[in-house]
Amino acid sequence: MLDIFRDIQSRLEDSPHLRRLGRLFSETILIEVDGAEHYLTFDRGRLVQIVPGPSRRTPWRFALRTDAEALHAFWQPRPAPGFHDIFGLVKIGRGRIDGDILCLVRNLRFFKEIMALPRARTGACA
Amino acid sequence: MNIEPITGGYLNVTVEGVPQRIYVEQAGQGRPVLCLHTAGADTRQWRHLMNDAGVTAEHRLIAFDMPWHGKSLPPEGFQTQEYLLTTQTYMATVLAVLDGLGLDRPILAGCSMGGRIALQLAARHADRFSGFIAIEASDFQPAWYDIDWFDRPDAHGGEMGAALVSANISPYAPERERWNTLWMFMQSGPGVFRGDLSFYTQDDSLIGLLGAIDTGRTPVHLIVGAYDLTCTPEDASRTAAAIPGATLAVMDELGHFPMSEHPAGFRPFFLDALGRMPAARASAA
Repeated sequence: MLDIFRDIQSRLEDSPHLRRLGRLFSETILIEVDGAEHYLTFDRGRLVQIVPGPSRRTPWRFALRTDAEALHAFWQPRPAPGFHDIFGLVKIGRGRIDGDILCLVRNLRFFKEIMALPRARTGACA
Repeated sequence: MNIEPITGGYLNVTVEGVPQRIYVEQAGQGRPVLCLHTAGADTRQWRHLMNDAGVTAEHRLIAFDMPWHGKSLPPEGFQTQEYLLTTQTYMATVLAVLDGLGLDRPILAGCSMGGRIALQLAARHADRFSGFIAIEASDFQPAWYDIDWFDRPDAHGGEMGAALVSANISPYAPERERWNTLWMFMQSGPGVFRGDLSFYTQDDSLIGLLGAIDTGRTPVHLIVGAYDLTCTPEDASRTAAAIPGATLAVMDELGHFPMSEHPAGFRPFFLDALGRMPAARASAA
C-alpha cells in the first residue's frame, strides 16, 4: 500500500490543477487499510509525508478506513457500482469515514481526486 | 450558423400568491413532454434530448428552471428568505407552468427530485397528465449527508455540492458531460441545493400514496441507474413495487443524472419510456 501512496504523491506533483485545488489544505489524514494505518500529511496541496502506523500520537483531521480488496476495486478503470466513489464504499459497507467531516467536505473534490489518481495507471478516468 | 433548435422564453405566473418569472425552453413538435430537472441544477440537463431530432420529431419537449434555479430569478424579497422547497409549492409550480403554457395533459418526465414530484403529481393530480416517467425517483430518501454542508458563509456550497454529487455519476459517463453536469451544481445559488434537498430528504408524504396511483389511466415508468448512490436500484424497485402496474428499467452503466451525464447511454431508455406512454391528444398550445 505504501507504493500506491507514493504513486499518489508522485502523480500529485505532476498535477498542478490538483495542487491548486488543495492549496488551502495542510492537514494530516489517516487512511486505514485492513487495520493498517497510514498517515498522509499535506502541505498546501502537496503530499509531503507518508508515515505508516500504528501511532497513537499522530493527530489526524479525518480518516478513511477500508480494506485492500475494496481499494483494488475502487482503483479499477471503471469500478463496479458502489466501488466507484469513496462515499460508495461507505454506502456498501466497505468503508468508514470519521473525524472532522466538514474539513473533508470543504476539500472533497481534492481528496476524492487524489484518492482516484491510481486509476490513471491504467489510463482510466479519474 | 450553427444554432441549436432549442428556443427559450420567460413565463410570468403566480405560484401560491407569489409572482414568478420562469425560464422555459422548448424544442420539437407533437406529443408534449414536460421535463423537470434535478435538485441544484437547471434545464440544461435536458439539452441533449432537446437537440435530438429522433426525439423531437414527434415530441415537443418543454423544460423550465424552477424559481431560484438557472435563469429563473428568485422571488422579490429573496434576500431575507430561507429557501426551502416543499411538496405543495413544487406541485403548484409545475401546475402553474402547465396552465401558463396551456399544456393539455402532457407526459411528465422528472429526474431525482423531479421524479419524486412526478410521482406526487401521479398520486394527487393525475388528471392533468397523460403519463409519468420517473427517473432516479423513489418514495423517500433520507439524507446520507448533512444538507447544511451546502449552505455556509465560510465555504462554497456549489463546489462542495458538486464534489458530493459526483458520487452519483457513472464511470461510463463521458468526461465532458460529467463535468458539464457538475458545473451546474457549482453554479447553483447559495442555499438552493440545500433547499431542494430539504424537500427531497425530509418529506416522506409520498409513501402512503403510491398504492392509489392508477396506472391504467396514467402509466408510470421508472428508470434508475446502477451507479446512483442516492436513489439506488433497490430504492426504485421498492417504489415501483408499491405502484400497481408501474414498470421499471435499470440502466447498468448510468448514474443519477442520466440525461445529462451520459446522453447516448440514456437515449434508448428514454425512447422506450416514451413508447410506453399513451398516444398524443391535441395540445392547446
